Amino acid sequence: MKNKIFKLVFILPIIIYSIVLVLLPLLYVLFLSFLTSDSYGGIIYSFTFKNYLNILEFTYIKMFIKSSLIAIITTVICILISYPFALILRTKSKNFQNIATKLIMIPFLTNSLIRTYGWIILLRKSGVINTTLLTLGVINKPLSLMYNNLGIIIGMVYTLLPFMLLPVCSSVLAIDNSLIEAGRDLGAKPLQIFKKIILPQTLSGVFNGSLMVFIPAIGYFFISDILGGGKTMIIGNLIKNQFLSARNWPFGSAISVFLIIVTFFLVKIYKHFGGKMDDLGGF
Amino acid sequence: MKKRRLHNLFIFLVFSFLFLPIIILVIYSFNSSSMNTLFEHFTLDWYKNLFNNRDLIDAFTNTLLVASVSTIISTIIGTISAYGLYKYNFPLKNLVNWLIYIPIVIPEIVLGISLLSIYTLMKLELSLFTIILAHICFSIPFVIVSVRSTLSKEISVLEEAAKDLGANNYIIFRKIILPIIYPAMISGATLAFTLSLDDVVISYFTAGPGSNTLPLYIYSMIKTGITPDVNALTTLMILLVFTILISITIYQSHKIRKAII
Amino acid sequence: MKKIMIIISLMLILCGCEKNNLNGEVNVLNWSSYIPYEIINEFEKEYNIKVNYGTYSSNEELLAKISSSSPGTYDIIFPSDYMVELMIQKDMLMPIDKNRIKNYSNINKLFLRQKFDPNNIYSLPFLAATTVIAVNKDKVLDDIRGYNDLFKDKYKNNIVLLDDQRIVIGMSLQANGYSMNEVDKNKLNSGKDWLLKLNKNIKAFDSDSPKTFLITNEVDIGVMWNAEAIIAKEYNPNIEIIYPKEGFAISLDNYSLVKNAKNVENSYKFINYLLRSDVNKKITDEYPYINTTYSGMNLDYNELLMVLNQGTYVENIGNNIANYDKIWAEIK
Repeated sequence: MKNKIFKLVFILPIIIYSIVLVLLPLLYVLFLSFLTSDSYGGIIYSFTFKNYLNILEFTYIKMFIKSSLIAIITTVICILISYPFALILRTKSKNFQNIATKLIMIPFLTNSLIRTYGWIILLRKSGVINTTLLTLGVINKPLSLMYNNLGIIIGMVYTLLPFMLLPVCSSVLAIDNSLIEAGRDLGAKPLQIFKKIILPQTLSGVFNGSLMVFIPAIGYFFISDILGGGKTMIIGNLIKNQFLSARNWPFGSAISVFLIIVTFFLVKIYKHFGGKMDDLGGF
Repeated sequence: MKKRRLHNLFIFLVFSFLFLPIIILVIYSFNSSSMNTLFEHFTLDWYKNLFNNRDLIDAFTNTLLVASVSTIISTIIGTISAYGLYKYNFPLKNLVNWLIYIPIVIPEIVLGISLLSIYTLMKLELSLFTIILAHICFSIPFVIVSVRSTLSKEISVLEEAAKDLGANNYIIFRKIILPIIYPAMISGATLAFTLSLDDVVISYFTAGPGSNTLPLYIYSMIKTGITPDVNALTTLMILLVFTILISITIYQSHKIRKAII
Repeated sequence: MKKIMIIISLMLILCGCEKNNLNGEVNVLNWSSYIPYEIINEFEKEYNIKVNYGTYSSNEELLAKISSSSPGTYDIIFPSDYMVELMIQKDMLMPIDKNRIKNYSNINKLFLRQKFDPNNIYSLPFLAATTVIAVNKDKVLDDIRGYNDLFKDKYKNNIVLLDDQRIVIGMSLQANGYSMNEVDKNKLNSGKDWLLKLNKNIKAFDSDSPKTFLITNEVDIGVMWNAEAIIAKEYNPNIEIIYPKEGFAISLDNYSLVKNAKNVENSYKFINYLLRSDVNKKITDEYPYINTTYSGMNLDYNELLMVLNQGTYVENIGNNIANYDKIWAEIK
């Protein structure tokens, strides 16, 4: 009897949690996506596929492509920064590695919105970067660093880089030194070592980071709002507008369901390449 | 040698990139211009202002409240669940095991709107409570994943041994399991706390009147031009975080050194 | 472990400490940057009522917040003209008892009895605004009189517009000689083409603070609400403010009470407070929209008449909004 209660204490919360706070909300969104909205934003309980057909409109497809491109570019830039960073970090002392990985987390402890705001001060026409470059005479006309796609990408890379740095670093740092030494002893060139030893062992770390960067990058509406000047909509903006301004919850839900499907698909690929689910949440 | 210098430069550049906007915010908290445009001259006025800006202070305490409460609750639930999922079999286990990854992987905006929808459906008034519930929702899986990583096969050997010696389940959990998973629990809690402080998207959808949190307050100000007392607050926050982290690091390295000796 | 718990719970208690507010609270949902914080603080002190103050940046966001929250969440809101009409239709508002507002007589009659609420049963005018073109004369020497003067190549990436689909698409319609509230697809399409042509000159869409773009020299031309332009002019006197010759939008924001509001008594106190001459003046001094009271008039009588006669209200267009939505997604 006592054991039974004990068991209940340990499994009941998670069952309630995963059903009430995870499954139900998602099922409800799925349900909403088949409904219709009236012109005032109310929900009409009549079944339709219209919202999904609406997604296929040229205007929206164009936006999805643009948004995905921004996310892909962000992901690639993050990989290009994280790999060399991790490889260099390998050559440093354990203490240095420890401090470095801690330092990566520090920016997180101030709200990402505040940091995005810091970028406005830096990037705008009369901002710190432009004024510095102008006074140094490097440029004679201020550069357009924000209120365009460049601004969005800078903001995305900045906000999401730690999500790539951490898994890549931990997978690169986990490689056994003796493997690399053995490779070197056998006369392998650095590039060969990278291709044959480092890359295969760190691939899942890179995939992990890519998931954690790409998925938020299609949804972080505040970055495109603030650094893109409202000129570029990403999928996140579109969903936010449907829920908060256009008042078309069913259409917003349909886009969300579409995103969930894309996410599952990406996770499948990740698992296919040997990625473990637990690694996704472990930093 | 040259290569080494290049390496150090690269590391330095990455960290400058990560810290640049924060450093700028700190510098501008001492700027007399209220528009955060060019640096005019040094002042401490914004720090004085900060303590008179009740809304900002409110937003800040709300943020801390949300982060602490959601961290505590999700750490407790996450920890016992990790053990529950490791130890017991139950009917919905596969489903649950699959569902807990969803908050980790799906876009925050989808989680935000799905929670908003379900709150609306349940006629739940948007308030600090709904934000906390939302933060608990995305924090629990991270705690579970963190704690679960320390529960391995060797532990069941220990458990068996303890059972043979007559320990009951409670004693086993309290005296054997908890000490083993404690570090993972703390790192899960740290992660939950950090994610909660950092979150914008989910708070944005789940907040109501009188539940202004820092991201919402700043979002409503960001285009109007943030007044530098926000910078001042950021500076104080960073200072606090740095002190805590540095003392933890010193404490840990001290312990390691002790262990080696 | 125990120590940590104690510290954390102490922290919680400290955070959770609420100030005592003897006379309850009032839940206000208002436009961002509309009422200076001092005014709210003084109200709280004077009446000992806690004001829970939330903001929104579009009428649609307001509608969304009201309909997605449970009844009684908000007390006072500030919907614009067409949103008042819509909210009346959706039965979301509570009739206002003018007898309970002592300062009612301070409201300028010119702003009463508007089409969207002819007898002011559900709404009382708060502030009015018109769209204007603001031009930084330091940089732009050309004579700009209307929307069709904005196409010059040299204005590339140099214009900020409001992030508001009805205003921006409405402006394109007016530029083509149509009504701002047109729903005819062909006419809308010519508006869309007009905007696509203008797109290269548009630097950003921003409703919250387009003035910042002018003040920081990010752009030299902006179409924005008059108050924003006036504030920008305070920073840079060489900014010229123009009523566009093709027409402009006028918007009248109103005090309204949400149906099922919990704090009705306090809401009346709050409205009455805001209508008091000294308080009201402070609002339009800080955010120079068009004052709707006698005591605080900030436009001369003729200009006021001109604005009220020539400005066009954004009207409710029902399901046709979907077409506006699509054009908007296409421009962005």
